[in-house]
Amino acid sequence: MACQGLQKGETLESLKRESETLKKKLEEERNKLNDVELHQVAEKVEVLSALSIKTRRVLKGHGNKVLCMDWCKDKRRMVSSSQDGKVIVWDAFTLNKEHGVPLPCTWVLACAYAPLRSLCLIMNGYLGLDNKCSVIPLSLDKNENLAAKKKSVAMHTNYVSGCSFTNSDMQLLTSSGDGTCALWDVESGQLLQSFHGHTADVLSLDLAPSETGNTFVSGGCDMKANVWDMRSGQNIQSFESHESDINCVKYYPSGDAFASASDDATCRFYDLRADREVAVYQKDSIIFGASTCDFSLSGRLLFAGYNDYTINVWDVLKGTRATILFGHENRVSRVRVSPDGTALGSASWDSTLRVSWSFSTGSNYIFRFIKLLFWVNSRLVLEFTVAF
Amino acid sequence: MSNNMAKIADARKTVEQLKLEVNIERMMVSKAAAELMAYCEAHAKEDPLVTPVPSSENPFREKKLFCEIL
Repeated sequence: MACQGLQKGETLESLKRESETLKKKLEEERNKLNDVELHQVAEKVEVLSALSIKTRRVLKGHGNKVLCMDWCKDKRRMVSSSQDGKVIVWDAFTLNKEHGVPLPCTWVLACAYAPLRSLCLIMNGYLGLDNKCSVIPLSLDKNENLAAKKKSVAMHTNYVSGCSFTNSDMQLLTSSGDGTCALWDVESGQLLQSFHGHTADVLSLDLAPSETGNTFVSGGCDMKANVWDMRSGQNIQSFESHESDINCVKYYPSGDAFASASDDATCRFYDLRADREVAVYQKDSIIFGASTCDFSLSGRLLFAGYNDYTINVWDVLKGTRATILFGHENRVSRVRVSPDGTALGSASWDSTLRVSWSFSTGSNYIFRFIKLLFWVNSRLVLEFTVAF
Repeated sequence: MSNNMAKIADARKTVEQLKLEVNIERMMVSKAAAELMAYCEAHAKEDPLVTPVPSSENPFREKKLFCEIL
């Protein structure tokens, strides 16, 4: 009876020993290919010209911590969710609030904008009663009672920590405190695939950019980042180098690598084809955990939000800090680069959102001034001609 | 007994998973790093946060009538 399911000579101990041997082998195989460090290869790359990224807009309106934000594909709308129980859609150009959706639950942990204009919200009740992910189709009619149209799509056995629509908008991927990720059909709410492998809460997930196929990466409290095949549910690769919870994972724009932000005060960069960590972004002066990260359009910059209220901007290739953004008055909960790469949106426990972008240098002003002189000149000539 | 069997099942799954991970194809870091760099360089000009665009083309700055002329 006790030997049921065991093969000849196999015991729990022998399996554990085999496990340890394989882990060592994995480490060896990975090290064989570590012929050079990323920052050494990157010595050939030009140093970034002095970055002039600064916070230029502050969006006020939430009454409590802003826990999450996302950009709409139209590149100007942002959605944010807060502990005040509201979800607000903002126009980032005019700073106007377009929609305010009050919800019956104050623990709206995350929100994401779907490619085709519907909104996804995660709501978790105090007693774990909700643990659901709901989808709300957004319309331009401000009078429409959006909260009434929400539809439950996903359900876990513990809080839902992250959500993302797949590229088609028809499926939703969720990560949960129950240690699993799951893929759902939005229309029917049916569970299509579940992903088991993490040994603690999964805190974040990110889908591979559409060109690179059906994979996604997840990170969690077991300090591991796992890469999954969406169709088979298989865990393809696993990375365990962080020393504390991984709060956020994000793919590099080409899909060949991803970054992670962790409570161990570092962000790390993993290359999927080399199957190893290739950079660690850290400084002795940074001792607070990083809760969120995102890449700029070209992947050269990694923006990371920290619990010391700052956003550090890292040079991904050289491994150095390019600049630092101050302004938030409490923890930064989320940073997201806009879809066309023009701006960085950040959300914070200080109940505000901020939008930052780059400012062009002085030489442009001279050209613009000359253009103005020509214009004035041509207008004066016109006026005189008309008068005569 | 069933607890033991569950542990064995888990241990076996871990061993299978590790076998899969050990056997994947890998690339040298030098080659992978070169490709990451190439991607950055190819897209640096289109990245408004790395290569700033003039204010007149930045959709976020406030549009004032005077600036419209420029």
